Amino acid sequence: MSVASHRKPARPVIRMIILTATALCVGAAASFAAILFVEMVSHLNSALLVAPRARVQWERLPWLIVLATLLVPTLGGLIVGLLHRYLSPERRPLGPLDVIRSVQFHRTLPDTRSGIVSTLTAILSLGTGASVGQYGPMVYLGALFGSAVHRLRASVPNLDGIAMSCGVAAAIATAFNAPIAGLVFAHEVVLRHYATQAFAPVTVASATGYVIANVIFERPALFLVEFPGVAHGYEFGLFALMGLLVALAAIGFMRLLLACGPWIASLIKHPALRPGLAGLAVGVTALALPDVLGIGTETLRFATIEGAFGQGELLVLILAKITLTALCIGAGFSGGVFSPALLVGSLIGALFWSLVTGAAGIATSGVAVYAIGAMMAFASAVIGAPLTCILIVFELTRNYDITIAAMVAVVFSNLVSHRLFGRSLFDIQLSRKGMDFSKGRDRALLAAIPVRDLLSDKAITMTPEDAPADVDARLTEAGWRQAFALDPDGRLTGVYSTAQGVTPATLTFEDDTNLADAMDRMRGFVGDAVPVVTRDDGRYLGAVSEADIVSAWIDHVARIREEENAAL
Amino acid sequence: MLRYSLSAILIALSSAAPAQDLTVATWGGAYEAAQQVSVFDPFAADTGQAVNAVQYDGTVAALRAWAGPGEWDVIDMLADQARVACAEGLLLPLDAQTLLGRAALEDFLPHAPGRCSMPQNVYARVLAYDERAFPGVKPTRIEDFFDTARFPGKRAVQRSPDGILEWALLSEGVPPEQVYGLLSTGRGLRLAFRRLDEIRDDILWWSDPAKPAKMLADRRAVMAAGFNGRFFDVAARGEAPVDIVWDGRIIGTEVWAIPATTEKPEAARDFLAFAMRPTSMARFSERIPYGPTRQSAFAQIGLNPTTGVPMRVHLPNAPQHGGRALLRDSAWNANTRDLRQRRFEAWLEQDEEAPGQ
Repeated sequence: MSVASHRKPARPVIRMIILTATALCVGAAASFAAILFVEMVSHLNSALLVAPRARVQWERLPWLIVLATLLVPTLGGLIVGLLHRYLSPERRPLGPLDVIRSVQFHRTLPDTRSGIVSTLTAILSLGTGASVGQYGPMVYLGALFGSAVHRLRASVPNLDGIAMSCGVAAAIATAFNAPIAGLVFAHEVVLRHYATQAFAPVTVASATGYVIANVIFERPALFLVEFPGVAHGYEFGLFALMGLLVALAAIGFMRLLLACGPWIASLIKHPALRPGLAGLAVGVTALALPDVLGIGTETLRFATIEGAFGQGELLVLILAKITLTALCIGAGFSGGVFSPALLVGSLIGALFWSLVTGAAGIATSGVAVYAIGAMMAFASAVIGAPLTCILIVFELTRNYDITIAAMVAVVFSNLVSHRLFGRSLFDIQLSRKGMDFSKGRDRALLAAIPVRDLLSDKAITMTPEDAPADVDARLTEAGWRQAFALDPDGRLTGVYSTAQGVTPATLTFEDDTNLADAMDRMRGFVGDAVPVVTRDDGRYLGAVSEADIVSAWIDHVARIREEENAAL
Repeated sequence: MLRYSLSAILIALSSAAPAQDLTVATWGGAYEAAQQVSVFDPFAADTGQAVNAVQYDGTVAALRAWAGPGEWDVIDMLADQARVACAEGLLLPLDAQTLLGRAALEDFLPHAPGRCSMPQNVYARVLAYDERAFPGVKPTRIEDFFDTARFPGKRAVQRSPDGILEWALLSEGVPPEQVYGLLSTGRGLRLAFRRLDEIRDDILWWSDPAKPAKMLADRRAVMAAGFNGRFFDVAARGEAPVDIVWDGRIIGTEVWAIPATTEKPEAARDFLAFAMRPTSMARFSERIPYGPTRQSAFAQIGLNPTTGVPMRVHLPNAPQHGGRALLRDSAWNANTRDLRQRRFEAWLEQDEEAPGQ
């Protein structure tokens, strides 16, 4: 729990001022940082001949292009690996996962230095053409600004999490030029509740990001599409079907992504060398398929143009992009999964469209709506944020008809991937680290509290040598009805009561039992306290009284409820 | 009036001593005439420094060959030519901030000064059509250029990959800011030529920039790709009812630069500073339909002094034009010329091999 939440809260007016100032400052900082981030990546892409627009201008020197294609991602990866190894205390790239964990469990982010190194390596990874996304690092960067508020030690409950969410919302609002999506993303993925106390500042931060992106820098919408509307009613059925199919591909992508890290780790012992080799793989592939390099803005656009790709080409490109993204992220390049997901999704949409019109001969309203629908369906399965994805389509394309069509694809994709895989890649990664959000936020938070923390040292223990009369006397004196019988090695052998003598314990907790499990298992339990033993050798650690568990549970649930319903 | 006649005397005096003149190399024709009245003469009147205009063909080769020591002091160039010349060291580097002041630079957006050049006016490659050919529904967007079903007839196109490839992608729904990125890929070029295939049989090629307007006037073509000034001329002189579609206009920049061989760099810089004033730009744009590069100049543009035509609406970068506008990327154009030319010729040959396809 954060320090602030234990202190006496400041007066409402002060809290309002602090929250508003936080939203404005963090929002502005995150927004400028996001613009700087995008600009730096774009400059690197031009200078290092990753962007097609730069590559084509050196076309008269083919050897230079080949050399750049092979060396830039490889050397980029090598530098990224070395930076993580020698400059970052965390020794790994940081991303949305760390933000979610820190906001949910009221912890601070990993150290600032690791955060800065991770941001630099993300710029380098993206700048040198690795197949990773830019939004993950930007989310982290936004949260990094938010986490600075922690230092102020202001007496506002939940301020840390709100400030980080403000940073996230502003970064997304700026990067996508999509303030509503930024706002919803921060709630749907990071905060996971909609308390007014959080909603208001996050909205302000998001709007700040929008003002900076639009009014100060005049950035255009990222993905303007002309689309007059869906021509045939049955196409909505096609969108739903496409959503289902896209979900299967997204599940494959996520499974590969999760498997790649351990696989590469077992293959290459030295962690600093892994990104370099993944970079080489990207370079070699890019010699034949330049579309896989970098973020792929051009490829994303081509996917919305009829006949830009052949079916075979699409299939190869989809597989290559999925594999290389899994490889790059598994190897430790710093970057997210969202942009690659957008690209792969749009290519799948184009493939689906070409099969529907070509092979099945069905009349459609053009490839663009399919590419965009599938793009968002894929991305939403990966980040587990259907609402955000629907709004991103709306704000990116500024086209209502496409949004409605994409919405259908998005929900069907989410339905399948949630059922077969999990709510999102982040949630699965968290649950592998023991933080399971699949049964809701409260359950995950309660599951993070070990009963070990509630141990009472007042519980009475007895060894085989102790005479029952002595034990009875101690029990009466302490006001307990049960004592815990231990063998000479300190292992629990049973529960002693005056009436029944030593009987086997009906319920024991292990040292890793958490509050949520404990409440479940205590159903029907009768007794003073539950003994806690080590999982490996059954050694007795102490006991937790039923009353302590129940009051801890009540306290935590109340705190969660307070957070989720706070107005100010 | 007194001042004007005084300057006339000064000009007369200085032309007697040509060594003292500031020599400006420019394009000739109506363009130079407009510059003479709007910039050269007022500059001479203002500073007493007479200006002597000479004509050249606008190429870097000419600059290389002709600009001997002290020959040319100021030169009018296309932005991409200036970029090449600057890289070769043929032009003096300019510091826009000291020349114009920091505040003025904002006024130039989106036409940023180059390392050796100052943007002076903008022209555009536009789509124009013959009103007589389309009495009913008229073309309004670049897509219509490629739509021979709705708008049948010949199209006049420059026999060069410049401009038409950009239009081909714009007509596929690619937003202007992505056009050059997409044209930089093999896939983008292929898509552009695929689009060109659709109007292949309806193209009349031109090489002389005066031709497209003439082809419309002679009713040889119903639509034409060409430069806005030429279409304006034909319409203004009443030769033919030619109308310009501003959607998809490709805006290019004309710049002022100082040849490295000048012997009067100070006077040349003074001239540039004078020519870059919004009033100078506005005077120029009132006489010929090339837009000013400074936003603030628009407010001062009024009627054409001879015809009385309000000129703002005819300028390629007039704020009231809707539709898409593409800013010509001069570096990209200079560096990809060979590649595009090669692909364009290959496409043309394909045409000759398989006629009527």
